[in-house]
Amino acid sequence: MTIDEIKNVVLEIIQDIDDEADLENLNSGEALRDQLDLDSMDFLDIVMELRKRYQIQIPEADYPQLATLDSCVNYLTPRLKAA
Amino acid sequence: MRRYPLLIIGGGLSGLAAGIRFARFGQKVLILEKHVKAGGLNSYYHRRGRLFETGLHAITNYAPPADKHAPLNRLLRQLKIPRRTLKLRQQFSSEILFPERSSLCFSNDFSTLQSQVAENFPDSVQPFAAMIAALDAYDPFTPRPKISAREFVSSFLHDTLLVEMLFCPLMFYGSSDEDDMDISQFVIIFRAIYQEGFFRPQGTIKDLLGLLVTQYKNFGGELEFSTGVKEILTENDAIIGVRTASGEEIGCDYLISTAGYPETKRLFATPDTAAKFSTATEDKTSGRLSFTESIYLLDKPALKPITETRTIIFYNLSEQFTYHRPEKAVGLNSGVICFPENFEGGQNSDYIQLRVTHLANYDAWRHAYDADDKSLYAAMKKEWSERSKEVVCKIIGNYQKNIVYEDTFTPVTIERYTSRTQGAVYGSPEKIKDGRTNYENLYIAGTDQGYLGIVGSMLSGVTMVNHHILNKI
Repeated sequence: MTIDEIKNVVLEIIQDIDDEADLENLNSGEALRDQLDLDSMDFLDIVMELRKRYQIQIPEADYPQLATLDSCVNYLTPRLKAA
Repeated sequence: MRRYPLLIIGGGLSGLAAGIRFARFGQKVLILEKHVKAGGLNSYYHRRGRLFETGLHAITNYAPPADKHAPLNRLLRQLKIPRRTLKLRQQFSSEILFPERSSLCFSNDFSTLQSQVAENFPDSVQPFAAMIAALDAYDPFTPRPKISAREFVSSFLHDTLLVEMLFCPLMFYGSSDEDDMDISQFVIIFRAIYQEGFFRPQGTIKDLLGLLVTQYKNFGGELEFSTGVKEILTENDAIIGVRTASGEEIGCDYLISTAGYPETKRLFATPDTAAKFSTATEDKTSGRLSFTESIYLLDKPALKPITETRTIIFYNLSEQFTYHRPEKAVGLNSGVICFPENFEGGQNSDYIQLRVTHLANYDAWRHAYDADDKSLYAAMKKEWSERSKEVVCKIIGNYQKNIVYEDTFTPVTIERYTSRTQGAVYGSPEKIKDGRTNYENLYIAGTDQGYLGIVGSMLSGVTMVNHHILNKI
C-alpha cells in the first residue's frame, strides 16, 4: 500500500466509527483523539478494525504510535507493505 | 463438541451489547438465553393483542448528539447503531412529590432542578451547588471500596427533607442497597437521571431489542433461545465451557455471565469450584429489593391535567422516606407512577398507559405462590392492586372508573422470567466492578457489574469485552 492509501484506510475507519467526524479539517500532525473528540473506546475500534481487515496484530504497548494520522502512517507502512 | 471463542450467558441488554462488540470484529460468539425471547429484565409480553413492556419506564442518560463523550453517544458508536435510527423522544417533565411537604420537578435541563431547589429549599442553594461541584469531579468508574452515599450527601446538605427527596428517584431507579447507595453508584445515577435525563426511543422495548438482535446477527453473532445454562464447566483454574439444560456441552475460550453474582455462583457444580468463584454467601450477595408493578390501560378522558405534563412521579407519604424490603407484601407509602407515553412526539394512541411500581416483599409473594391453595396468590395480587389504586388515586386523581385493562407482576414473576434470585431487579448489593472473577477467563457483566440503567447495562457488556477480551484475542 502507498502512503496515501494507508492514510485513506485510517480515515475510512474513523468515518466508519463516527459518521459525523470532521475529517476535512484534520491536521495530520496533531493527536486524532483531541481533534475528533474521541475516547479510548473509539480508539480501540481503530485497532480492532485494522486487525479485522488486514490481520495485523497491534500490541497495546504500540497504541501511542497511532496517536496522529502521520504517526499511524509511519507505523503501518512497513506492516501493510504487502497488503 | 461445539466450541466458541466467546460464550455469553443471558440475552438481555448487557449480553446483546457484549455480543455485538465481539461479533463486530469478525469473532465467533454464541449467546445462550433461557427464555423464549431476548431482553431479560427489560422485555415484553402480549395480552389481548396488545404489547406490554416489563421493566423499562424510561431510559436514563439522555444527551444531545454533540456531546460525544456522553454515555449514550459512546454506547451507540460502540454498537455501531446510528443515533438517528432510534428517533429519541425526550420526557415532558418528572416530579418528586412528598405530598403536603414539598415537591421538586426536574427535566432534561438540569437548571429545572436547580431552580426548584432554590425555590423550595432556599437555604440549601449554596450547599447543593457545592455538592454538584464535588459530584462533577468524582470518577465513579475507578473501582474502590464501598462508601456511603448518604454520608457523602449529608456532608453537604443539612436539610433532611431535601436529602430524602433527592434520593427517592435515584434509589427507585437503581439501588440494590437498602436505604443507602455506594457513592460510585450514586454518582452514576445522579448524572443519569438529574443531569442527563429521561428519554425513550420511538416504539417499544421490542423494537429496541429487535434492533440489537439484528445488529448482532448481521455481524455474524449466534443466539439460541430456550437454552438455559445448567452448569459451568471448569478445569483447574479456567472455564472450559458450559452444559446446557438439555445436556449439551459447549466449549469456550472466554465466558461472560450476565446472570448475576449469586446466580452465576449457583452454576458451579461442586462446592470447591463455587468457592473458587466466590466465598461470599447468598445472604450477602442476594439482593433483597424487589417490586410489584401494575400496568393499566385507561380510556382517554381520565386524568387530563397530569397526563399532559408529567412523565414520571416519584412519591413518598411517610415521615421518613425508606427504601428497604417492606414488612408487608407491598410498600404503599412510596412508589413510582409512570406515564410511558408522555415523551415528546408520542404517538396518539387510543388509550393512556399508566404504570405503578411499589417496593415489595419477596418472601410474602413466594409464600403465596407456593401455597397449596392456588387461589391465594391471585387473591393477594387483587387485594394489593386495589389498595395501591386507593393510594395512587389520592395523588393523581381518580382513574379507577377509566380502567379498561390491568395486570400486575410481582417479585415471583420477575424471578420466574429472569432467574434473578428473589426478583431482585437491581441485583446484588455486592457489585463486581471490574468484572473479573477468580477464574481467569470468566467475567461478569450486566446488573451485578455495577453500571446502572439501560444505557449502563449495555455499556457494561461493551466495557467488559473491550477491557478483558478484545485486547487478548
